[in-house]
Amino acid sequence: MPRILLISDTAKPIGDLRAALEESGHEVVDVVADVGALLHAVQAHRPDVVMLDVDSPSRDALEQLAMLHRHAPRPVVMFSADDDEQLIRAAVGAGVAAYVVDGLSPSRLRPIIQVALARFEQEVQLRQQLEGVQQQLHDRKLIEQAKGLLMEKRGMSERDAYAALRQQAMRQNLKLVDVARRILSMAELLG
Amino acid sequence: MSRLAGPPRTLRIGYMPLVDCAPLVVAVRLGLDRRYGLRLELQRQASWAAVRDRLISGEIDATHALAGMVYGIDTGIGGPCEPMAVLMVLNHNGQAIVLAPEPARRLREGASLREALEVPRQRPRLAHTFPTGTHAMWLYYWLAAQDVDPLHEIEAVTLPPPQMPGALAGGELLGYSVGEPWAAQAEVQGIGARVIRSGELWPGHPEKVLACRRGFAALEPDTVTALTAAVLEACRWLDESADHRARAAHWLAADGAIDLPVEVLVECLLLPEGDQRTTRLRFHGDGEVNFPWLSDGRWFLHQFRRWGWLSPDAMGDDARLAELHRLDSYRLAALQAGVPLPRGDTRRSVLFDGMRWE
Repeated sequence: MPRILLISDTAKPIGDLRAALEESGHEVVDVVADVGALLHAVQAHRPDVVMLDVDSPSRDALEQLAMLHRHAPRPVVMFSADDDEQLIRAAVGAGVAAYVVDGLSPSRLRPIIQVALARFEQEVQLRQQLEGVQQQLHDRKLIEQAKGLLMEKRGMSERDAYAALRQQAMRQNLKLVDVARRILSMAELLG
Repeated sequence: MSRLAGPPRTLRIGYMPLVDCAPLVVAVRLGLDRRYGLRLELQRQASWAAVRDRLISGEIDATHALAGMVYGIDTGIGGPCEPMAVLMVLNHNGQAIVLAPEPARRLREGASLREALEVPRQRPRLAHTFPTGTHAMWLYYWLAAQDVDPLHEIEAVTLPPPQMPGALAGGELLGYSVGEPWAAQAEVQGIGARVIRSGELWPGHPEKVLACRRGFAALEPDTVTALTAAVLEACRWLDESADHRARAAHWLAADGAIDLPVEVLVECLLLPEGDQRTTRLRFHGDGEVNFPWLSDGRWFLHQFRRWGWLSPDAMGDDARLAELHRLDSYRLAALQAGVPLPRGDTRRSVLFDGMRWE
């Protein structure tokens, strides 16, 4: 069962959720009212989910946590019934799970939190894949540059330049891109 | 001056409770919005994340925004990616880095920043306001220029500015980077000291901007030009006299824009006499402050790359900035408001460590 941290720092009664959450079998690790306590509770309890109001001043702190740590708790942002549907959609796009507080019932909470966590996993995977692809593209560019340098300075053919890079990589037990990086920084140094 | 035809067009404008939202409050109080056929409805926000979400959702049309954050949304760093538009810069300077009394004293007595912060023996916790925001950028730049690695040797956290002085006093932080009046508060309460003003770190740095979605700027060019012209006039008025600044401080307090006593706000808005003025909070400077310099945008993208948030390839930056910085609507608005225009679209800056940027 996901472990939940509640942030109660607006006039809206988020703190009241505690009973409903516990009734539906969730563990509420703490209820905090400012960011200092939030950071402390995240460190001490490592919650899976942080629930807070859309107008909570603590939201930026969660943005920072999410940017720094892959395993940062998943924010679940609560809206009241009069919030705009577009806004909820934008917040969901921003990587939070949304939940409309009105008509609160414990039976509705469980699926919301489960979906929030599942979406989070999916997003982390997608992001990792994207980063991997970007890294590959960048690596390939460096290798191309190093190859070009060898061709220009040593008069090698493209095939020979590539073979030379591969040979260096094998001999020094390095990745191809690391050899390319060394050659490029050497060339920079030697002018 | 040209105004939009027909009944006033209502625009919902977001802002955060910081003194540099003053141009928006002034534009409404002086009726400058009406003069351009607009009715600005100012909506105070509780977090920059909420500002971003409401801007993207269309719940607000334009906003007072951290310059860095706008580039962060445009490039999709750490959140949703949405094409953005910088209509104008609202102010230069006016932020500061604060340290707890002990490290501030060591620094004053000539210790290096590493010694003052006791890095690497400890990993001090320092706060800013948003992951890609200006306060994070000033803090990271200041640390790195003094040989402290902001990504590994400190713990960077984000805190709402009003909670910063309390966290510093409670020992939860060793320092923070923030907009006024929250640096002044540390000194007033005697719980910390300003170790550098942002205007000393980068004299004349861009701070808050007036931003909207690029789609909005493209679909309603006349509206954003009118908005820019009205706010430009407000910026000019703010820099005209000390009396104007003091009146703005009263409006900020009376309109509930910032929950602090008016004397504190007056203190933050009034300029000192003499040379120091170029490093202090400015709203206009004959338009030099307000022009959305392309070189400023490049600086933020460069910093994002430096911290590993943006792919190292800088190709396409110029094309991105040409769309992001709305020079055309700015120039039209400046003509309407009678504000001088610079000849170029880049400028030269020198930062506190001698780094030149253009």
